[in-house]
Amino acid sequence: MNLLRYFRIRSPWYCRLEVLAAVALVTHLLVVWAIPYVIMAALSMSRPAEERGTGPLFPPMTDATQRRVVMPSPDLLYATCAFDVRQRPLRIQADPKLPGYWSIALYAANSDNFFVLNDRQAAGAPVDLVLVGPGTPATGALPAGAKVVTAPGGRGLLLMRVLVGDYAVEREAVEAARRTLRCTPLG
Amino acid sequence: MAPEDELNPAFRPRWYGVLALYLAALSVGAGSAWLAVRSQLNSGGVSAGVWRTSTLAGSSDADLYTRAVIAVGALLALNRDETMYYVATTDSAGRALRSRCRYRISGPAPAARWWSVTAYAEDRFLFPNAERRYSLNGGSAPLDARGYFTFESGPTPPMGSPPTAPWLPTPGDRGLSFTLRLYNPAAGLVAAPASLAAPVIERLGGCE
Repeated sequence: MNLLRYFRIRSPWYCRLEVLAAVALVTHLLVVWAIPYVIMAALSMSRPAEERGTGPLFPPMTDATQRRVVMPSPDLLYATCAFDVRQRPLRIQADPKLPGYWSIALYAANSDNFFVLNDRQAAGAPVDLVLVGPGTPATGALPAGAKVVTAPGGRGLLLMRVLVGDYAVEREAVEAARRTLRCTPLG
Repeated sequence: MAPEDELNPAFRPRWYGVLALYLAALSVGAGSAWLAVRSQLNSGGVSAGVWRTSTLAGSSDADLYTRAVIAVGALLALNRDETMYYVATTDSAGRALRSRCRYRISGPAPAARWWSVTAYAEDRFLFPNAERRYSLNGGSAPLDARGYFTFESGPTPPMGSPPTAPWLPTPGDRGLSFTLRLYNPAAGLVAAPASLAAPVIERLGGCE
């Protein structure tokens, strides 16, 4: 075996240095690969304990006290749902009646933005999506009119953005709009 | 006889020595990964003046390093068809931005449905300020007859300006960056991010 012979003709310390370098290289690549997953997992798990598992989270209007996500936009009101579609699909519904910009974006566990729908694309129609993963078991008939979106993996995060000009003035309308978001497991 | 057996027993590595070497290798790997990501936070991408944008933010086409950099520096970015993010960390003369300095930011209204300029401290969070003003946007920054916006940033309001004058408070002496967000950017800009008519960032006088 050439590989065995290769190692035998080298000094053991030299071989160990090669192994150590390989360990460092593999660790380097693994850490770079894992960084988005770790940050996304921490974000999904960082919601207040009393609100875990109860559907969307509606954080207050962004200001300087917001320290959960870097570079927050102070012009947007957010709503989030952490999703897990490994066992059951997730139905996503919203009906924000607003003249300005809003969007619903879906992020994979590695932080990729794999889907986004904004107000112009919705064209005034209510949002009705069924999110499935690559291995989500079939759960029977889909809700009529719902559009199926396939996530690249089982877990991730939904982020709804609502543009706000002056929160004090628009509060009633924008709060009502984002609170139309529903994230409901099917089946 | 295996090469290891030929070693003088006095020089054979003890288990804790081997363990230390492997822990050191793990540390080097992890540390270099973090340094590599941190070093790319304000570099790479496409430039328009002093503004830089990543064409792969939020994209499934992002490579290993780009995805990690975006996760650390701009988590939950939208893909560029939906939103483009341009970041400036220097003024137009190439000097690093500092919050204690006063800047005038001006340029044509960007080709997008909606835009904003937000000031961030070096930790990538908003500056606490009594005015609770963190950004200026297409709705709050008035345009002149040419369609240009102009506003100032600094630790105190612009000299002699009315209280309602548009400005961005950046208190303290900290690192500073500006982020220009373009929601639903024009198709031409999506195709050619470097074609942005980049706002100019001009430092006004000495820093306070």
